[in-house]
Amino acid sequence: MTEASDQPDLELLSVTKRFKGFTAVDEVSLKVRRGEFVAIMGPSGCGKTTLLRILAGLETMTTGQLRIRGRDVSDVPVNLRSTRLVWQNYALFPHLDVFENIAFGLTLKPHDKAVVSGRVKAMADLVGMRDFLDRRIGQLSGGQKQRVALARALVTEPEILLLDEPLSALDAHLRLRMQGELRRIQQALGVTFIYVTHNQIEAFSMADRVVVMNAGRIEQVDTPERIYTFPKTHFVARFVGANNLFEGRVSAVDERHTAVACGHGTVTVTNRGATPAVGETVTVVVQADRMRRAAAGGPGENTVPVTLKGREFAGSQNIYLFDGLDGTEIKLVAQESMGSAAVMAVNASMTVHFSPEDASIIGYAGPAAAPAADAPAQAPAAVSAPPVQAPPPVQAPTPEPAGAAP
Amino acid sequence: MTAAAAGDAAIGAPARARRMRTPNDSPLKILCLAPIVIWYAIFFGLPLVFLLWIGFWRVENYQSIPDVSLQNYQEIFQNWVVKSRYGLAMLQSFWVASTTAAIATVLSFLIALALVFAVPARRQRLALLFVIAPFWSSYVLRLYSWQTILSKNGVLNSMLKAVGLDDWRLEIIYTQIATRVGLVHFLTPVLVVILYVTVINIDRTLIEAARELGASRWQAFTRVILPLSRFGLITAASFALIMGLGDALSGALLGGGAGASVLGKYPLYSAMLMTDYASSTNLPRTSALATILVVAMVAMMALGVWVAERARRRVSE
Repeated sequence: MTEASDQPDLELLSVTKRFKGFTAVDEVSLKVRRGEFVAIMGPSGCGKTTLLRILAGLETMTTGQLRIRGRDVSDVPVNLRSTRLVWQNYALFPHLDVFENIAFGLTLKPHDKAVVSGRVKAMADLVGMRDFLDRRIGQLSGGQKQRVALARALVTEPEILLLDEPLSALDAHLRLRMQGELRRIQQALGVTFIYVTHNQIEAFSMADRVVVMNAGRIEQVDTPERIYTFPKTHFVARFVGANNLFEGRVSAVDERHTAVACGHGTVTVTNRGATPAVGETVTVVVQADRMRRAAAGGPGENTVPVTLKGREFAGSQNIYLFDGLDGTEIKLVAQESMGSAAVMAVNASMTVHFSPEDASIIGYAGPAAAPAADAPAQAPAAVSAPPVQAPPPVQAPTPEPAGAAP
Repeated sequence: MTAAAAGDAAIGAPARARRMRTPNDSPLKILCLAPIVIWYAIFFGLPLVFLLWIGFWRVENYQSIPDVSLQNYQEIFQNWVVKSRYGLAMLQSFWVASTTAAIATVLSFLIALALVFAVPARRQRLALLFVIAPFWSSYVLRLYSWQTILSKNGVLNSMLKAVGLDDWRLEIIYTQIATRVGLVHFLTPVLVVILYVTVINIDRTLIEAARELGASRWQAFTRVILPLSRFGLITAASFALIMGLGDALSGALLGGGAGASVLGKYPLYSAMLMTDYASSTNLPRTSALATILVVAMVAMMALGVWVAERARRRVSE
């Protein structure tokens, strides 16, 4: 199974963690390439932190196997693992200064003081804390604590760095700066990063691949772009981005398009690989920023009659909230200035449009809805369907689906 | 704002020029302190002032005469080492109290660690209750119990005899070892509470973080738990030291008045004080002796607070 050449850095095989009465992590399988930045994203309670604690060795798993660079580390105790965790609240030692905090991991074994000092200083340089080495932890700001926590973990040269919502305690501005910093440090050291967050902006802007988790299971593993554009499951469609979901029944399938009868009328969707069968209940997903507000749609476009319920001006864009005829909530994001839509009254009837190419179908018995979402082999060899779970360890940008091009 | 003004008017509070008060700010709350202040003033402050004052009185013809004289102190310090041996008693007191404090602190720390880390969270309160239960029985009663256990033909020696270990008879009753046993038993419940609060407040993620960085269990203990317990340990130890210095009962009932220690057969200073009070009519001298003990204890307390405060500042700065 594991050839030395394209051996994954980290490999999870059906990792499961059961607590009394519930399953926190349910048959999670994942392969991570060396030097990859993988974000695990999901709502609170989805098992992402438990999974991270299992990777760190702070929690045992009920069943499954964990491999790091081919070695089975499932039963290796926490202090002998080659992973390091960056804690959500930093967990810096308040009785030690910055230097002693960073040096902590290095001083646990017999060591040469000069060597330790050199490595600590080099790492402090990398995270920009060189001038603060004699400060006490209580004297640091949130961003500085974050840097120290990062340095303390990285100075021990871990094979994999685990990060548990490291930016959640920072203010918005600092978070943006630290995102850039994290990416820079990750690329400079080439260390594999596993980054747990509930914040999709963080996940999408830093990660090479994003793992979306729900109720202990992996819903989708893909590049940020593809998760955003083509969510595979209901959950991902609702959790990620601002998507509109139309429930309906497949009425016709031809070579290029699938027609779905929804509450407000028929919607046409461009085919991508495997298509649902006629009569199946499916969900059509359209991103809010792919919807257009106009008196009449273009040729071939889908038209949805709606009632305006609210409008929000967010700087460079307007966010509209509509109700469809059957009560479906519809969101529309338009890049327009504030004034151009000012005359519309609440409860005004109008139509919104979207192109068949901007819509996708989920929830049918094809690849996306496969219940055993963790079993990579189970994904049918559909031409354009991206791998559902556990993509090949050699990471290449997933090709655009053949059907997406007009 | 106008609504608030109207509300004020409605409840009949005309706008007056006065400092704004928060809802929690009541001028009456200071009165809550009155009972304790009065209690302390009458039953602690006043007697203490008397004690200090009487120490400067003079005795003539078996009569205490109010005065401001250093005669008592002169007499005491002249006999500090010889004759009445006040100094040796003070040394004995410090020796017994400091060793007792060390033993009680270590023992209580172990109990506190066990409570926090070995007992499930929801059973900890109950376990703590069991640990401090002895505190609710009479101190004198406990000392008499220890007498029964430790005496020459007591429970302990009878048991040793029963299992055929006649040669291993423990001769510790009426030595300072027995004094320490009584004191440790007296102090442990209080120290456990102090140290339990200290240990339970150590952030568990810090321990996990240390382990995660490669620390063994022992290293996590010595490099995280121990330094973060410093404030509590110093507080507990100074509390034990002060209680040990002031206590006369254990020394009298278990130590036999002048029990032997490695320093020799000297009584504790507090026991000597009691004897002095009971056997002589020289109340001013007894007061002077007591004042010296009070000064020693305050000095110990100040030292303890200073060291503990330094430990605390090091962590929370």
